[in-house]
Amino acid sequence: MLNFVVRRLLAILPVLLAVSLLTFLIASLLPGDLAFVILGDQATPENVAALRRDMGLDQPLWWRYLSWLGHVLQGDLGRSFRTGQTVLQAVAERIPVSLQLMLMAEFIGLLIGVPVAIACAARAGGAFDRFMTGSAFAMLSMPSFLMAILLIYLFAVELHWLPATGYVPFTEEPLSNLRFFVLPALTLALAEWPGIMRVLRSDMIATLQEDYIALAKAKGLKPSRILFVHALKPSSLTLVTVTGINIGRLLGGTLIVESIFALPGIGRLLVGAIYTRDLVILQGVVLLVACGFVIVNFIVDMLYAVLDPRIRHGHA
Amino acid sequence: MTKIAAAARKHVPIFLVAAFALVSPAQAQKSGGSITVGQELDIPGFDPLKVGVYDTSTNTAAAAIFDTLTTLDEKGEVAPKLAVSWTHSDDYMIWTFKLREGVKFHDGTPFNAQAFKENFDRQKDPANKCRCAFYITNVKEVLAPDEYTVVYKLTDPSVNLPAVITIQSQNNVIHSPTAWKTKGDDYNRNPVGTGPYILKSWTAGDRMVLEKNPSYWDKSRPYLDRIILKPLPDAQSRFASLQSGEADIIWDDENDADNIMKAQKDSKLTVHTYKGSGAQVYAFNTKLAPFDDVRVRQALVMAIDRPKMSQAISNGLSRPATNPYGEGSWVKCKDDGALPFDVEKAKALLKDYGKPVEFKMLVSATPRGRMIGQVLQQFWKRAGANMEIEQVDQATIPSRAFTRQFQLTPWRIVDLADPDPQMYANFRSGSPLALSSFSNPELDKLLDHARVTADLGQRTEDYCAISRLINKEAIWFWTFQNTYYALSSAKLKGFPKIYNGVIDVSTTWLE
Repeated sequence: MLNFVVRRLLAILPVLLAVSLLTFLIASLLPGDLAFVILGDQATPENVAALRRDMGLDQPLWWRYLSWLGHVLQGDLGRSFRTGQTVLQAVAERIPVSLQLMLMAEFIGLLIGVPVAIACAARAGGAFDRFMTGSAFAMLSMPSFLMAILLIYLFAVELHWLPATGYVPFTEEPLSNLRFFVLPALTLALAEWPGIMRVLRSDMIATLQEDYIALAKAKGLKPSRILFVHALKPSSLTLVTVTGINIGRLLGGTLIVESIFALPGIGRLLVGAIYTRDLVILQGVVLLVACGFVIVNFIVDMLYAVLDPRIRHGHA
Repeated sequence: MTKIAAAARKHVPIFLVAAFALVSPAQAQKSGGSITVGQELDIPGFDPLKVGVYDTSTNTAAAAIFDTLTTLDEKGEVAPKLAVSWTHSDDYMIWTFKLREGVKFHDGTPFNAQAFKENFDRQKDPANKCRCAFYITNVKEVLAPDEYTVVYKLTDPSVNLPAVITIQSQNNVIHSPTAWKTKGDDYNRNPVGTGPYILKSWTAGDRMVLEKNPSYWDKSRPYLDRIILKPLPDAQSRFASLQSGEADIIWDDENDADNIMKAQKDSKLTVHTYKGSGAQVYAFNTKLAPFDDVRVRQALVMAIDRPKMSQAISNGLSRPATNPYGEGSWVKCKDDGALPFDVEKAKALLKDYGKPVEFKMLVSATPRGRMIGQVLQQFWKRAGANMEIEQVDQATIPSRAFTRQFQLTPWRIVDLADPDPQMYANFRSGSPLALSSFSNPELDKLLDHARVTADLGQRTEDYCAISRLINKEAIWFWTFQNTYYALSSAKLKGFPKIYNGVIDVSTTWLE
């Protein structure tokens, strides 16, 4: 197992390096001159040239990358030129919001997706299965911003059940905090559950055709016991991967959802940085998110190996 | 007529305004309560050395936390705030302000001429490399001859200084020197002013809570106990927050015409709108073909159907502009020389030009920018000119404009209390901002004259002559006037005019 962990860790290093290079290039190659952004549209060419020199923008790209990477490796991701905050401070302030949103969304997604998948698999091809499969496709094709606006109009403007926008930290008012998160998490979850449901459903249908299930049925075990105890665990291997990947993918979803529901998370930080061309924040956050994604995948690989020993021995 | 002009006409060097009232006393103000303001953007902070230039959301917060020396009243006239009176030298190069006595910053330290001077010096000091310094390059120095007197020494004459410094911008709001010295890097997010509200708490990206300043110098104000400022970036959910009562007033603009119109029909909501000065403008590069020929420029301007364009981009909310001043400006022209909308004349002019007219126009890579580009493209196609849209990032436009790498570029003239700063920069020969690279001695003479003339009637004549000249030469054209919107609950009263797009809630109360 240790061997496996070390092998995987070594494989991550070039990925992280590539991520850092891409992040730097994306931010550096964006159109528009950072010096102009900072100085505003009334700046003179002399002011701009002086600022470009100060910021090292007149240096070659490779030199700027190496110097940026050098700082990053020492834990210095830079400071926002707008707020003076360091990237790490800004991210630390906002990460709890995004984590809570993603975890709640994934939880709600599983809460809907898993039971539906089991029910569908139990009677594959039946009316419920066909209906839910159809609904899943409908949900998948619905863009999240549209879903968000629909939910806001229904639950906030018309029914007044839940707030349209806003946030309070969980530590201050736990109940209000949860109320603020219901709609955004639901928006993301409604796009999440179809994937969960489809994967688990097909795996379970396959599992239910295994010999040992036939044996269990022959022994006269209750159908619910067969489904939940004998079929669920072996069918959930793909689900673990999907859930892991989803958490990374959800980060993308938070860009839109956090902006619409005015949640002060990483997504909003990133959108704000793009709007204001705060390239330091942009580079830093993209780098951290990409690293987070790589790490989540690593953890999923580890879980996989725990669930299925064949994987860590390299037989699968 | 503004106070400046009134004073100037009488050639009286000093004028005093005894009473200070921002709100007309027709309605009875109520004290207490709390409101939530929905803004478009996150606030980056308040220290000019850090944030450089305030955006509209920051201006809005600054209007509550800080004071400026002067302010604009409901009639658009300059009124006292931290300064109670002011005088000027004959050549308008020196302005002397008498400060209000007994005013204290939120940290208890006194506001006086020395504090004001320190604010100014800090921005101006080259060692601080403040991006804000650019905007005060016309001020040579600020002196504090005694505790309550501040003297501005200018590099160029400015008849309009008291009006120009009314905006709650990075250069004009007054910070506590003790606070920035003791707080250092933390000052940016812990601002201390003399304003009607004190910053209580600020959650990054979420809410800023401001509480009533119990020792505000204007004893009758403020009325509300608390103001909560929240960034609600999405226009749809911002409007939903207003409808569901989570926000009491929100920022809005013409891009969101549907919601503005919905609010107009809703009896529980009030639509506040201010027809400001300035306009959405476009500059031709007269050094490049085909715009080196006045016939082409005139033809393109005459081919624009502004009412139709307004319908297409904002449901008719955008107000056509025929000069760069706008309804909110004191410059009112009987004849601004606007070229009429006349497609046939445009066609004839292009035919007369004799060569195919093909060019590229810069537009910002936003849905609105694209739409404006497409509408103009259609107008010009009808007249016989082919325009290719070049979509560029918003931030690219200034750099392309300054380096004159464009044929036609969008620009803007913002809502300032006086046209001089922008008109002078945009049209005086040799100015880096004179994007058209057009030089005309008559235009220069008018611009020079307008900035040293005290008489408002004379200045109006100058600016109208400037407009006639620009329209005739068609070096720039204007499409729509600047209009500002805020939507609020009908219970919110006392909301002032939205000068420069700033939602100043420091004078409001709840019914």
